[in-house]
Amino acid sequence: MPATELTPPEAARWAARAGLVLPAERHAAVAAVANHIHGVVVVLRELDFADVPPAAAYRAGEEKHDGAV
Amino acid sequence: MEPFELPLAAAADAIRARRMSPVELVDSVLDRIDKTEPHLGAYVTIVAEQARRAAGEAEHEVAHGRYRGPLHGIPMGLKDLIDVSGMATTASSRVRAGHRATADSTVAARLDAAGAILLGKTHTHEFAFGLTTPQTRNAWNRDRVAGGSSGGSAVAVASGAATFALGTDTGGSIRVPAALNGVVGLKPTYGLVPRHGITSLSWSLDHVGPLTRTVEDAALVLTALTGRDPRDPASLSVPASDYRPAAGTDLTGLRIGLPRTYYFDNVDPHVEAAVRRAIGRLEALGARLVEVDIPMTRYIQATQWGLMVPEAGAYHEGSLRTVPELYQEDVRILLEASELMSAGDYVRAQRSRTLMRAEWARMLEEVDVIAAPSVPMPAVGADEETVTWPDGTVEGVSDAYVRLSAPANITGVPALTVPVGHDPAGMPIGMQLLGRPLGEPTLLRVGHAYEQTQPTRALATVA
Repeated sequence: MPATELTPPEAARWAARAGLVLPAERHAAVAAVANHIHGVVVVLRELDFADVPPAAAYRAGEEKHDGAV
Repeated sequence: MEPFELPLAAAADAIRARRMSPVELVDSVLDRIDKTEPHLGAYVTIVAEQARRAAGEAEHEVAHGRYRGPLHGIPMGLKDLIDVSGMATTASSRVRAGHRATADSTVAARLDAAGAILLGKTHTHEFAFGLTTPQTRNAWNRDRVAGGSSGGSAVAVASGAATFALGTDTGGSIRVPAALNGVVGLKPTYGLVPRHGITSLSWSLDHVGPLTRTVEDAALVLTALTGRDPRDPASLSVPASDYRPAAGTDLTGLRIGLPRTYYFDNVDPHVEAAVRRAIGRLEALGARLVEVDIPMTRYIQATQWGLMVPEAGAYHEGSLRTVPELYQEDVRILLEASELMSAGDYVRAQRSRTLMRAEWARMLEEVDVIAAPSVPMPAVGADEETVTWPDGTVEGVSDAYVRLSAPANITGVPALTVPVGHDPAGMPIGMQLLGRPLGEPTLLRVGHAYEQTQPTRALATVA
């Protein structure tokens, strides 16, 4: 198992830190799915974001014209 | 032809001309539901008596010169994530037992004002978090998946058990079941149709839109749905517009992007052949094909997951702690695992989305529309979990169904799926048309032009 993969007890501890108490019989399955998700999203670290902001945005107040996406 | 077989536009013409009453149409579709529903399971709830009453009122209005427009007296289904005042929004989940919506969603209120008649609420994969909708069976073959998550809506429309329906689309959930059941599905531009009153899967990826028999029908429904609602923070101020496409089929001068990468990789050969044939048809109508390279393909799935998984986890944070046992296992485990993702993962996905949107905007300066398969393969067997491609790649069925849909969710561009044939087993195949933000008129024009060159499609013959 690569060093970055969560073990079942680590998955349970991380979940508990997030406020989610996992029953013991779920630790292994949750660790496996969490590791799979991590394996998918980790490639985003390859991107050079420089000063690129996140896409999440909000409008401070109403605008009359905001047709552009 | 029975009234339930009519596409929306034809039914609307008949109602406006008083050749057919909304009562006849609604009775016909309710009879059809009686025949199809035991085999297909498209609906969570059917409100037959309420629909008949509404049809009587609609008939009375038409008879007295109060015709509301093309949706007047047209029976429809709403995916059961969409609030209708006084009804449960079950999200096809035991978590929602006892739920009762206290107000209409924006889209339900707009359809009601336009005269559409609610038949019932259609099944979704639980909380829209999946691509198969296991409660519902494919309209063309009961042993195949319906697709999802708007599986009930697609199957109802494909089988004549609704003249149109609404679905939601976070990673393909309108387009996938529409393609797998041989109907039209439109995921509008992000923010064009307000989502107020719709249960969220992932706020920054969720869209709501129509599933219909024809492209023209999708345009008629879209026309009733658009317009800003400040209760949806993503809602756009776009002038009211009639989206009904013109009758012509001439596409001279239109530039159609033909992807050199991504959209035809690991695609079933029957799907590829049918879509390339349809693209050839568009070329014959005058369009010019321009090869395009899809940007940032290595990061599409990572961006989709990096946005969707934490947002879904956040939405369900409360009930995952109080009633976790009420979720289906496939959804529960994803929600639990979502809690182990970092804020860094999420922000990277949002920044990647910024890059991807900019790259797509550049690509869409070179072409007017991109044409591609909607899904890599037709509906698989209900018990199949993976697909093996000729290069040896083994892919989860859900991952495969999301793969060609996700770019339009991440970037917010509109995407339309149009049926373009069947595989040798008789399962439908869809072509996806993607456009610029707010480019719905172009997508609808191209899709409508294609449909006019094709024979009228038959309903699925299930029962």
